[in-house]
Amino acid sequence: MTAPTRARRRRRTGAGRVIRNRLLVAVPVLFATSAGMFALGAASPIDPAQQYAGAAAFTTSEENLAQIRANWGIDDPLPVQYLRWLGNLLRGDLGWSTSRHEPVVDVLAARAGWTLLLVGAALVVVLVASLLLGTLAAYRRGGWFDRALRTTAYAIQSVPSFWLGLAAIAVFALSLGWLPAGGLTDITATGTDPLDVAWHLILPVGVLALSQMPWFVLFIRDSVADSLRDDHVLAARARGLPGRTVLFGHALRTGLLPFLTLIGTHLPELVGGAVLVETVFSLPGLGAVTVQAALGSDFPLLAATTLATTVVVLAANLATDLAYAAADPRVRLE
Amino acid sequence: MTAAVLTRVRRLPRLRPGRLGASIAATVLAVAVLACLFAPVLWPLDQSAIDLSQTRLAPSAAHPAGTDDLGRDVLLRSIYGLRVSLLVGVVAALVAAVIGGAVGALAGTIGGWVDRVLMRLVDTIAAMPHLLLGIFIVAMLRPSLGAVVLSVGLTHWLSTARIVRSELLSLRNRPFIDAAVSGGAGRLRVLTRHLLPHVLPRLALATTLMIPHAVWHETALSFLGLGLPPHLASLGNMINDGRGSLLAGAWWASLTPGLLLIVVTLALAALTARWRDRLDPRVRAELQL
Amino acid sequence: MSRSTGVRLAVSAALLLALVACSSPTTSSGAAADAPLIVATAGEPDTLNPVLNYGVDGGSLIFDGLVARDERNQLVPALARELPAFSEDGKTVTARLRDAVLFHDGTPLTARDVVFTYQAVLDEKVDSTLRSDLDMLASVAAPDDATVVFTLRYAYVPFLQRLTLGIVPAAAFAGQDINKAGFNRQPIGTGPYRVTSWTPGDRLVLAANDRYWGGRPANSAVVVAFVPDDNVRAQRTRSGDFDAAELPPKLASGFDAQPGYRVYKAPTADYRGVMLPMGNPVTADVAVRRALNAAVDRAAMVNGVLGGAGEPAYGPVPPSSEFADPSVAGNPTADPAAATALLDAAGWRPGPDGIRVKNGTRAAFSLMYPAADSLRKELALAVTADAKKVGIAITPEGLTWDAITPRMASDALIMGYGTPYDPDFVSYKLFHSDFAGQGFFNPGSYASQVTDQALRDGRAEADPARRKAAYATFQRQLATDMPWVFLTYLEHTYVVRDSVNGVVPRVEPHEHDVANSIWWNIHTWTRRS
Repeated sequence: MTAPTRARRRRRTGAGRVIRNRLLVAVPVLFATSAGMFALGAASPIDPAQQYAGAAAFTTSEENLAQIRANWGIDDPLPVQYLRWLGNLLRGDLGWSTSRHEPVVDVLAARAGWTLLLVGAALVVVLVASLLLGTLAAYRRGGWFDRALRTTAYAIQSVPSFWLGLAAIAVFALSLGWLPAGGLTDITATGTDPLDVAWHLILPVGVLALSQMPWFVLFIRDSVADSLRDDHVLAARARGLPGRTVLFGHALRTGLLPFLTLIGTHLPELVGGAVLVETVFSLPGLGAVTVQAALGSDFPLLAATTLATTVVVLAANLATDLAYAAADPRVRLE
Repeated sequence: MTAAVLTRVRRLPRLRPGRLGASIAATVLAVAVLACLFAPVLWPLDQSAIDLSQTRLAPSAAHPAGTDDLGRDVLLRSIYGLRVSLLVGVVAALVAAVIGGAVGALAGTIGGWVDRVLMRLVDTIAAMPHLLLGIFIVAMLRPSLGAVVLSVGLTHWLSTARIVRSELLSLRNRPFIDAAVSGGAGRLRVLTRHLLPHVLPRLALATTLMIPHAVWHETALSFLGLGLPPHLASLGNMINDGRGSLLAGAWWASLTPGLLLIVVTLALAALTARWRDRLDPRVRAELQL
Repeated sequence: MSRSTGVRLAVSAALLLALVACSSPTTSSGAAADAPLIVATAGEPDTLNPVLNYGVDGGSLIFDGLVARDERNQLVPALARELPAFSEDGKTVTARLRDAVLFHDGTPLTARDVVFTYQAVLDEKVDSTLRSDLDMLASVAAPDDATVVFTLRYAYVPFLQRLTLGIVPAAAFAGQDINKAGFNRQPIGTGPYRVTSWTPGDRLVLAANDRYWGGRPANSAVVVAFVPDDNVRAQRTRSGDFDAAELPPKLASGFDAQPGYRVYKAPTADYRGVMLPMGNPVTADVAVRRALNAAVDRAAMVNGVLGGAGEPAYGPVPPSSEFADPSVAGNPTADPAAATALLDAAGWRPGPDGIRVKNGTRAAFSLMYPAADSLRKELALAVTADAKKVGIAITPEGLTWDAITPRMASDALIMGYGTPYDPDFVSYKLFHSDFAGQGFFNPGSYASQVTDQALRDGRAEADPARRKAAYATFQRQLATDMPWVFLTYLEHTYVVRDSVNGVVPRVEPHEHDVANSIWWNIHTWTRRS
C-alpha cells in the first residue's frame, strides 16, 4: 500500500468516526429538544379543534367540536401522545397540519424548495459580494473605501430585513416600476419558468443578501487584514510577488478557511431572515406558512418545520467542518 | 476544533466608532432613554384613543411626524413604541443572562460530562433558527408581552452561556483559585467570592450586547402579528400598520418608528462595542460575541 | 409586458444557476382575448371539498348544488330539474335530478352521489363543520337514480337554502378517509370549471368545463391568485397583475381615479357588532347597553374606519333583506345626550375620574377583538373612544381566538357574521336561549322568551306574511334588549378592469373568497380586446 492511499484512508475513517460521534451526541440532544417542544405544545392552552373550525366555529356545535377532538386523539394522556408523535416522526409521518388541512410532509415538500432556493441564492450572493468587498477593504485598510464600507455595514446591520424589504418595494417596484413587487411568477404563467422565477426573486434575494451581508463582509475584511500580516504573506510580499497574487493567492486563502465553517453556524440567522422576506414579498415558501401556522396554533407543522430546519443546519455544519478538515490537514476534528 | 470555532460565532462585527461617533451615540441613547423614562409624565398617551377626524395628516407643527390612519400622533406613539421595545429588550436580555449564566456556571464549574452535554445542547439549539423557535414559543404561549419576553429570553442565552463557561474554565487554572481551594474554601465560597467578581463584568457586557438583538426579535414578531396586541404602540406594530398608509401616500406612518428603531439600536451597539474593546485583548478574543 | 426581454435575460442570468430542478414548460400570455381571467383574493380555502365546508352557499365555480342562486340571491334549480318540493307536513323534501349531467371525469351524476355527499356531512367520522347546519336532516335516500328524498326531524321552512351544497362523486372516495383524501386538493365536480392545478399559498388554476350542463363558459380559463397580505395585493393590482381583486375599502379607493379600472362595492349581509355578555356586572345592565348603542358614532365608523364602504347596522337582518324591519333603525351619528340621560336615570353617576359608578361598581369592562383582524381592532378602538365620552371605560384587548373563547361569557367581544339568504341562518343560534353559552352560539347567554318564540315561529311558519311578522318581532325585541350593539354592515370592495364585461355584484355573505365573491358568475365574463 502506498503512503498517499494510507493517508487518505486514515482521513476517511477519521471522517466516518467524526460523523458517528456527532450523531451519538446530536440524536439524544434532538430527542431532548423535541420533548421540550412537545411539552410546551401540550402546556399550551390552545384548542386545536377550534382552530380547525376557523370562522365556521361560529356555526359549529360543541358536540361537533368534541367529535373532531376525539377523531384526532387529543384527549389521550400526554406521554402516549408524545410517543405516538415521535414514532410517527421517525417513520417519516410528520403529522397532519391543522391549519392547512393536509399532511405536514406535503406542506414541507411544496414549500421547502422555494425557501431553500431563496436562502441558497442569497448565500451565493452574500459570499461572492462579501469576499470581493471584504478583500478590497482589507487591502486598502483604513482607506476611504474601507471606511465607507464599514460605516455602511454597521448601518445596515441595524436595519431589520422587513423594513429593508418594504423600502425596496417602495422604491424599485412602486416608484420606479423596474421589478415586480411580489409573487413567484408572472400571474398568467401556467408553469414555473426559471427565467420568470429568477426575475421575481431579484428583490427578495437582494434584500435578504444585503441584510445578512454586513457580518460576512466585516469578518472577511478583518481576517484578510490579519492574515496580510502573517509571516508567509509578508514573506511572499518580500519576495516581490505582485500585490494581486499576494492578496488572492495567500492572504485570502489563509483568511478563508475559518470563514467556511462559520457559514454553517450563520445559517439559522439566514433562515430567520428568509421568513421575514418571504412574508414581505408574498413568496410561497416556508416563512409565510409558518406565520399562518403560528396564528392558527398549528403544533404539528410548527414543530416539524423547526426540527427539520435544525437537522438541515446541523448537517450543513458537519459538512462545512468536514470540508474544512479536508482542506487543512492540520485541523483535527473531535 | 468545532467547539472552538462555534464559540467564536460573533453576533455583531467588531465596531470601533471614533470618539465623535461615540459621543453622538451616547447623546442619542441618553435622549432616547430620558424620553422613554419621562414620556408618561411629559406627554401622557391614551393607548386606545383615536380621532377619526384627524386621519393621515402630513407632518406639521402640531404633529411633527404626522398622524396615522386612525388619527393618532405618530411621533408620540413611536416614543411609546420605543419604550415598550426597550423594556422588552432589557427584560428579555436579563432573562437570557439568567438562563445563560446558570448553564454556563454549571458547565464551567462542574466540567466533565456535564460540561460536554450542556455545550452540545447549546450547539444544537444554536442550529435552530432563532426566529422559527421564537415563533413556535409565542404561538404555543399565545401572543402577549410575557410570551414575547420568554421567546426572546429562551432563544438568546446561548452566547452568554458560552462566555461564562469559558471565563470560568480559564479562571479555574489560575493560581489564586488554587490558593483559595488549598486554603480550605468550599466550592460555593470559591464560586461566590473568587469567581463571580471576575465573571460578572463579562456577563454584564454580554447582556448589554444582547439588548439590540432582543429589540429586533420583538419588532420582527410584532411585525408578523405575533407580538404585542396590535392596538398597543410598539415599533413592530406601527411599521406593520404603516404599510397600508405607505400605499395611500402617507409615508410618514412607518418611517418614523423604523428610523427610531435603527438609530437607537445602532447607538446601543456602537457604545457596547466600545466598552468591549476597552477590555484587554485576551478577553476581547474570547468575547467575540 | 412592458419590460424588455433583454433586460430580464441579463439580470436573471445570475440567478439561473440555482434554478435547475424546478423548471417546467410555461406559457406567458399578454392581454389576448383568450387569456385566462385572473382574480385575486386574500382568503385561500383549506380544502376544495364541499363536504369539508368549501363553497357551501354556492358560487363555488367547481361544483353545483341541487339549487343555485341568481343575481338577486333567489333560488333557481341547478342539478335539480326544478326547485325541490316539500311534503304536506313540511318534513319530507323530494328532489328530481337533471338528466345527463357529467362530472369533470366524464362519469354521470346519479342520486347516489347526492346521497353520499349529504351522508358524508352527517358522518361523525368526517371532520365536517357543516354538520350543525344540517341539524334538521334525519336521513337522505335515493329511491331511484334520478330522485333524492330528504327526511327532516322537524319542519324547517328554509331547508331549500341548504341545498346549495356542492355535490361530489361518490366513486372518487371509495375506500378513502374523506378528511385526508387527495380529492380535497384535486377535486372533481360538475361545475363550469375543472381544477387544473392548485399551488397552495400561490394560485388555483381552473379550466373551462366544455361539457358544462349550463352551457360552455364564455372564457377558457380562470386563475385565482391567493395574496393574503392586503398591501401586497394592492401593490400587485396596481402593477397590472389582476383582472379583478378584492381590496379593503381604504386601499380600493386609490383606484377610483385610475384609468382602466373600476371600483365595485358589493352590498353585504356582513355585519360587525359588540356582543355584550349577561355575565358581566356592567354589561348585564340594559341601561348601559342602551347607552352604548346611543353613544357610538356609526357614521364616523363608516367614513373613518371603512372608508365609506358600508352602512350603519342596527340589527342582524340586512336592509337589503325582505325581512328587514325599518323601525329598528336609529340615529347614525352619536347621541351622547341620550346616552348620559339613560345612564343618569339608571343611577350610574360620574365618579372623580369621570368614569361612572353605581353602587360601588365602576362602569368599566374589557372589549376583546381578534388580534389578526385590523378592521375589528379599529372598530374596538372607535367604540372605546365613543364610550369614554359618556363615562364608560372600555379596555380593548387584542387576543387570539383560543384566548377569547373561554372569556366570552363575561367579557365583551367584537363579533361579525351574517348571511343574506335567510333570517333563520346564524340568528337562531346566536340569539335563541337554547344555545346560551354554547361556544360561539349566544356566548353572552342572552335569553328572552319573546325572542325565542319569534325565532321558533320564523323557522316553522310556512306562510310568508306570518313569517315576516315573526322576524319583525324578533328584530324589535333585540333592539329593546340590546344584547349586541350592532355597528356597521360592510360593503366588500373590488377593483375590476374596465375591459371585463359581465360583472354583476350581488349581496354577499360574511364568507367570500374563491366562492361567493364578485366573480360568482365569472363563467359569463368576457374580455374586450
